[in-house]
Amino acid sequence: MSGVVRAAWRLGAAAAGGRAGRPLSQAAGGGGGAEAEGGGSGGSGSREAVERLVRAHPVVVFMKGSPAQPLCGFSNAVVQILRLHGVEDYRAHDVLQDPDLRQGIKNYSNWPTIPQVYLNGEFVGGCDILLQMHQNGDLVEELKKLGIRSALLDAEKDQDKK
Amino acid sequence: MEPPYPPASSHPHLQALQPTHLQVLDESSRHGGPPGAETHFAVVVVSGRFAGLPPLQRHRLIHAALRAELAGPLHALAIVAKTPQQWESDPHVPPRPPCLGGSKHERHGDAAAGDRQSPRNQ
Repeated sequence: MSGVVRAAWRLGAAAAGGRAGRPLSQAAGGGGGAEAEGGGSGGSGSREAVERLVRAHPVVVFMKGSPAQPLCGFSNAVVQILRLHGVEDYRAHDVLQDPDLRQGIKNYSNWPTIPQVYLNGEFVGGCDILLQMHQNGDLVEELKKLGIRSALLDAEKDQDKK
Repeated sequence: MEPPYPPASSHPHLQALQPTHLQVLDESSRHGGPPGAETHFAVVVVSGRFAGLPPLQRHRLIHAALRAELAGPLHALAIVAKTPQQWESDPHVPPRPPCLGGSKHERHGDAAAGDRQSPRNQ
């Protein structure tokens, strides 16, 4: 069931906004479609700049505040979930520090809110979706594909030893 | 669409999703705003239209329905989007995370939104 959900995601993400979820092989390099909205000035909120950020690391989060000091409950929830899985090495961008990035990331993913989570360059969702993925086991699987072993697997292993 | 928006529970665009269950909670007062400020919503939408759709697409449908609000004062949105089957087996709305005073740190061009700053810092 979760395999179907995951496959449907990618399909859904690619189909939905036209912007999110493009395979990495179709990277910036010529676009093709018209840019409907701004951010093309080359600044920190431009499509190119955001693209560079989301591809810079397997796990990239756009949030309010920082992992050490989240400034929003939803952003904090994302940080806590990643922490539960033992994911401490990721790129976090504080949109409160950069209004251009704040708008640019919303344009890029066609998603109106922060936080936003990207795995392997693909937009995955916000806090609610990450929480769902955490609860249904999908997050462990997605991390595994990135070569990241969730700490929760080790926690389960310890429990199995009796 | 100019504010004030119609009461969210009668929101026509959310109704267009043909929900069997719909809850729209204005949680702005939990984030320091006055009640009815419509800055922080939690929506629970249960609809057969979500069948076969992954969470991302379900949320996008809801965003589209709330486009006017999102263009206005609404800047935080918690979503539960389930099919009637899923809701029946788990009619649970996760508690929303507490506010961490984030809106205090925002620079708003809109003075009205900027006024909604929480004196309480968590």
